[in-house]
Amino acid sequence: MIIREVTLLGHKDHGKSTLIGNMLILTKTVTKDRIDSAKRMSERLGRAFEPGFLLDSFEEEQEDAMTIDTTRAQIMHGGKAFEFIDVPGHEELIKNMISGASHARFAILVVSAKSREGIRTQTKRHLFIAKMMGIEKVVVCVNKMDTVGYSQIRFVKISNELKEFLERIGFGRNSVFFVPVSAYNGDNILKLSDKMEWYKGKPLLDALSSLSPKKPDNKRPLRFIFQGSIESGKKSLCIGNVASGLLKNGSEIVVSPNLMEYSVGEIFTKGKRVGSAKAGENAALLLHPEPKEDLRGMVGSGKESVVLGKREFNALVFSTETIPKEAKIRINGMDHECAIEIMEEIDTSTGMRKKSSVIRPLEAGMAHFRVSSPVCVEPFSVSEQIGRFTIYKKEQFVGLGVVQ
Amino acid sequence: MIKQNVDQLEEKSVYVIREAASRFKKIAALWSMGKDSTAMLAIARKAFLGKVPFPVIHIDNGIDFPESYKFRDDLAEKWGMEVIVAKSKIKPEISGYSCCGSNKTVALKKVLAEYGFEALIVSIRRDEHAVRAKERYISPRDRDFKWDYKNQPAEVWNSYSSKLDNKGHLRVHPLLDWNEIDIWSYIKKNKVPINPLYYSNNGYRYRSLGCTHCTVPIKSNAKSIDAIIKELESTKVEERSGREQDKEKAYIMEKLRSLGYM
Repeated sequence: MIIREVTLLGHKDHGKSTLIGNMLILTKTVTKDRIDSAKRMSERLGRAFEPGFLLDSFEEEQEDAMTIDTTRAQIMHGGKAFEFIDVPGHEELIKNMISGASHARFAILVVSAKSREGIRTQTKRHLFIAKMMGIEKVVVCVNKMDTVGYSQIRFVKISNELKEFLERIGFGRNSVFFVPVSAYNGDNILKLSDKMEWYKGKPLLDALSSLSPKKPDNKRPLRFIFQGSIESGKKSLCIGNVASGLLKNGSEIVVSPNLMEYSVGEIFTKGKRVGSAKAGENAALLLHPEPKEDLRGMVGSGKESVVLGKREFNALVFSTETIPKEAKIRINGMDHECAIEIMEEIDTSTGMRKKSSVIRPLEAGMAHFRVSSPVCVEPFSVSEQIGRFTIYKKEQFVGLGVVQ
Repeated sequence: MIKQNVDQLEEKSVYVIREAASRFKKIAALWSMGKDSTAMLAIARKAFLGKVPFPVIHIDNGIDFPESYKFRDDLAEKWGMEVIVAKSKIKPEISGYSCCGSNKTVALKKVLAEYGFEALIVSIRRDEHAVRAKERYISPRDRDFKWDYKNQPAEVWNSYSSKLDNKGHLRVHPLLDWNEIDIWSYIKKNKVPINPLYYSNNGYRYRSLGCTHCTVPIKSNAKSIDAIIKELESTKVEERSGREQDKEKAYIMEKLRSLGYM
C-alpha cells in the first residue's frame, strides 16, 4: 500500500486531534479496547468522551486537553491508505508542529467556525510553514459547524477569507478544497451530513482520496547524497541516498563541491549487487579511484548536470527562536558554520513583506547565507532534499530554511 | 491493520540505521530475540552487506523462555554477531511495572556505562502503543536515562538529534514506521529466522514476547508465517494485550518510557 502522509494544521483547540480521533472511530480503524480506554480516561477526568485521547496519550496531554507532541495514525478509506500526522496548535510548541508536518505531502487545515474562534494566528502561520516546506495540497475543514447552526454563511465567510490568504502565499485554486465539518459529531467526515444539504462537495475522506501523490524523481538529473562509508571485506564502500535521477553501474560521477571524478564500479541496494539505484533508494558504491576522504555531506551528479558548491545563497527562513548572525546550518547531513544577513521579514499571518534586518521569532523572512566552506545547494523548487536545511544556535534548533 | 510497502519501509530503516552508524562511533542494538529486533538485525545485515556491524545487547533477567536462549545462541553464531548479555537480577517480590522499570533499566545502565555506548538501536514501532507513537527517530535520553517527552528536540525532515554533551545517550528507532503485519511480511519475504514461540502450539501462540513472568500467549492456530499474517489481517485485539506491564495503571507506558524502558 502506498501511504499518503497528511499533516493536520491549525490553531489550538480548533479540533485537530478530535478530527483524527473520530476518523479512527468512524472508519473502524481502532480496536474497541482502545476506544474504551479513551472513554475511561475521559470519564476519569470528568469530561465528555474525547476522541482526541486516542492520539494524545501523555497524562499531561489528557489532563490539559492539549497536544504536546506530534504523533501519527493510519486509516484506510476507499482503497487508499492515509497516515495522519497530528501536531500541536500552541505557538510555543511550533517546533513539534514543524517536526510532524515536515514528513507530509498533504495537509488538512482545521479552522473552527465557532464565534470568537475563526481564523487565528496559528491558522495562517501553519499554512505559511506548510507552503514553505513543500506541501502540495490542502483540504480546509471548517470545523465545529454544529456550534453555528450549520450556517452556510459562516462557512462561506471563513472560506473566502482563507482563499485570499492561500492565494497570496502561493497555493493555487486547484490545490485547495473546503469542507464544512463537525469533527466531534462526525458530520461530512465519512458521509455527507443531512444537516448541511447546501454543501455540494465530497465528505472529507472522499476529498482526500482524490489527491494523488507525486511520483519519485527518476527523470530528473542524478543527485546522490553521501552519508559516509562502510567496510565490506577489505573494500571500503561509499553509502548514500539517491535523491533524484538514476545511478547506473559503470557510469562516471562528479562529486561536489570538490568536483572529484569517480567511476561507479559496483552498486549494492538492499544487500544485493544491482545494475542501478533509483530515487529513494539507499545504495553502497564501490568507487574508482577509492576516495581519500569521507564523502559525507557531498553530492554526486552525472557529468551532464553537475551540482556546484556555493559559498553564498539566499533562502526563505522560518524562525522558531531569534536567528543569530552567526549560526550553524545542517544541509545534506553536514553542519556548516555560517553568517546570516536578514534582508526582509515576512509576517506569516498576512504574507506581507517588509525590509528588515531581523526576523521576530515565529515569523519568516528572506536571508543571505555565507558559509565557511562551499556547500552543495540547489533551489528548493528544483530539488527539495538539497534545497532545505535546519538552523542551530549551538545545538539548539532555531529555524529552517529553503534555498531560493 | 494496514499493510505497507515493505521495500519502502526497509529503505527508511536502512537510512536511519546507517545514519546512526555513520554518526556515532559507540553504538549497539537491543535484541530481545523477538520478531521486531530480529527483523531490524536482518535489515542491518543487508545495509552493511552481510554483517551486523555493531554489538547486540540482550538484557537477560534469567527468566526468558528456553526457546529464546537457544534462538539467541543459534542466530548469533549463524550471523556472526557479538552478543553482550546484560544480566539483570530478578526479585520474586517485584513484578510488572517495577520489574521492567527497575531491573531491566538498571542492567542496561550498567552495560552502557561499561562500554560507553553513545547510541542504542531500539526496535519499537508506532503502532504498538500510543506513547511509542510519540517518539522521534533519534531521541535523546539523559544521564539518568530519562526521556524528556514534554520537550523533545525538533526533528525536521531527516535532520536528527546529534550527540549530547550531558553524558546521556541517543535512542535510535529505525522501525518506527512499521506495522506489526509489515514485520511479518518482511520476515516472510527475506526468510528471516524467527523465534518458534510465535507459532501456535496446542492452540496458543505468543504475539508479543517479553519474559516468562509477564507474557501471556493468545489463542491462535497460526502455525506458519502466512497464517500469522492472515490472522493479523482481521484481528481486533491489541498486539500487547498479553503484556502485563502495560496494563497495571493509567499512563504506565509513558512512565516506563520516561524512566528509560525500551
